[in-house]
Amino acid sequence: MSAVTATISEDEMGARTKPATPDEGARLGFRLTLPAQILVLFISAFPLLMQLYISVTDWSPLSGIGWWNAWEMWNSFANYTDLAADTRFWSALQRTAIVMLVCVPAEFLLGLALATLFADDFPGKRIFYSILLMPMMVVPAVAGYMFFMLFQSGGPVNDILSRIVGTPVTIAWLSDPNLALIAVMVADIWQWTPLMFLILLAGLVGVPEDQMKAATLLGADAWQRFTTIVLPKMKTIIIIALAIRVIENFKIFDTLYIMTGGGPGVATETISVYIYKVTTQDLIWGYGAAIALAILIVLSIVAVYAMKRMAKAREVPA
Amino acid sequence: MKRSVPFEIFRYAAIFAAMAVTLVPILWMVSMAFKPIGEWSATGADLTWWPRQPTLSNFRFVFGESDNDLIVALDHTAVKPILSSLLSAVFGTVIAMSAGTAAAYGLSRFGSGQNLPLALTQLRLFPPMAVMIPVMIMWAFLNLNDTWLGLALIYGIVTLPFAFWLMKTFFDDMPREIEEAALVEGCSRLRVFTRITLPMMRAPLASAALFVFILNWSDYLIALLLTTREWVTIPVYMASLSSSMTGQLYGAKAALGLIAAVPPVIMGIAIQRHLVRGLTFGALKQ
Repeated sequence: MSAVTATISEDEMGARTKPATPDEGARLGFRLTLPAQILVLFISAFPLLMQLYISVTDWSPLSGIGWWNAWEMWNSFANYTDLAADTRFWSALQRTAIVMLVCVPAEFLLGLALATLFADDFPGKRIFYSILLMPMMVVPAVAGYMFFMLFQSGGPVNDILSRIVGTPVTIAWLSDPNLALIAVMVADIWQWTPLMFLILLAGLVGVPEDQMKAATLLGADAWQRFTTIVLPKMKTIIIIALAIRVIENFKIFDTLYIMTGGGPGVATETISVYIYKVTTQDLIWGYGAAIALAILIVLSIVAVYAMKRMAKAREVPA
Repeated sequence: MKRSVPFEIFRYAAIFAAMAVTLVPILWMVSMAFKPIGEWSATGADLTWWPRQPTLSNFRFVFGESDNDLIVALDHTAVKPILSSLLSAVFGTVIAMSAGTAAAYGLSRFGSGQNLPLALTQLRLFPPMAVMIPVMIMWAFLNLNDTWLGLALIYGIVTLPFAFWLMKTFFDDMPREIEEAALVEGCSRLRVFTRITLPMMRAPLASAALFVFILNWSDYLIALLLTTREWVTIPVYMASLSSSMTGQLYGAKAALGLIAAVPPVIMGIAIQRHLVRGLTFGALKQ
């Protein structure tokens, strides 16, 4: 930001300030926040009520009646009892968890390793930095098409493997249930490691250099400096970075759906893909709404709990 | 801190390995975009990393020129999807930035809308798929399905949290002296905001708008649910680039993918400084 200098000295200001008009500020503040409030209400309150309403019926767009008449198809919470017994739902949830438990730690460790390499200056740093950030800016759907091509049985991934092994490799990555999940996770790690790298590097640069020097003088080796100074200083940043990736990874859809469509069979079907299929292919919207609402409720509880924990952590002086 | 020579060697080796992994997928798409049909799905010994006979025919094909080597022709060129992506992303950005900037200023200066930070954080937390069923019903009711305006509206809401948080941290960081001086001179608070604060914040506003545009431009799921034919966006349209006769039109997909990928990458590099702030909702600044 350009340098800003106050042209009026404090005395002068004190003398010339009009009596404060809190009313004017409050009124303007209310008006300025109004559009955002309306948009939030428009996307939260009304849709949630609608979702709740539809979720206790068998309604679908094909049922021939308007959604507001969905009560005619009331099914007394059958959607929710079905959900509890729906193995496809539970395995989708489990798969989402597996993807998260593999991808997020992998992205974190790779990102942290890269960030450590970039902590101080070296020739070429800026250009390497820009290039390494590129994957996260590629449109996820396009990344999906890219990895769809890469993992074809005659594609470049197998070509590289063939050169390493020495014999032709023709693995059908995307049509093998286990390998498809691996391919999908590779794409996610490729795209989002840069985000971890970016955030962790921002935190790493903030670690005070004099403390590091002092520790070096006291005979601490690199690993000791890392565990006793760097990691504690970066605790908050690490939590933020992990939280962002956990949240985003839970939503995983674009790259995955384009690469495999959730298949082969249901081998890569995550929770978002499952809701998508229930809604757009099976066209049972009442059930889709029930799943979606269940997910939203669980996430809200997690979010409120996490925010309370964070507020508590902030009270403890660092 | 002075580093040892072995460390420098290790550092460059590791960085070059990371760069290779980063670039191979991107370069494969770039190379595919310029390959003639015969090289698209060449396998084994025929697989080429660089096009043997580079051609622009893939780009011409997606814009409607028929390709002599391809039996298929497009009944629907990529022009309208590109227009759809542009219109919905631009107007979505306008909506998010207008509402977000105003609300951020209201909260930052006057403490209005105390509920917004939590509400907008929750909005980001939820998977889009879990809130889209009512949106699809509402949009059908409002006749917004399969229109760029409908997409722009939902994009504006989905990216509102990012616009709000980015602008809030920018406003919080901004020194108040000039605003106070203007108030003393007798400016109304609204005039201070529109005539003094906003012009001063031109650069942060531009960065935030680019950030929000990238997010809107990157959407796939929402467009997949809300558009069917007339106003499909680029990623949704790409799925139609395959046919039962020729299979996947790899070259055409890669060409269009390249067109879709270039703008956000350039913009992202331009606003590199603010990426951390935007992604962490202002919790971290670079």
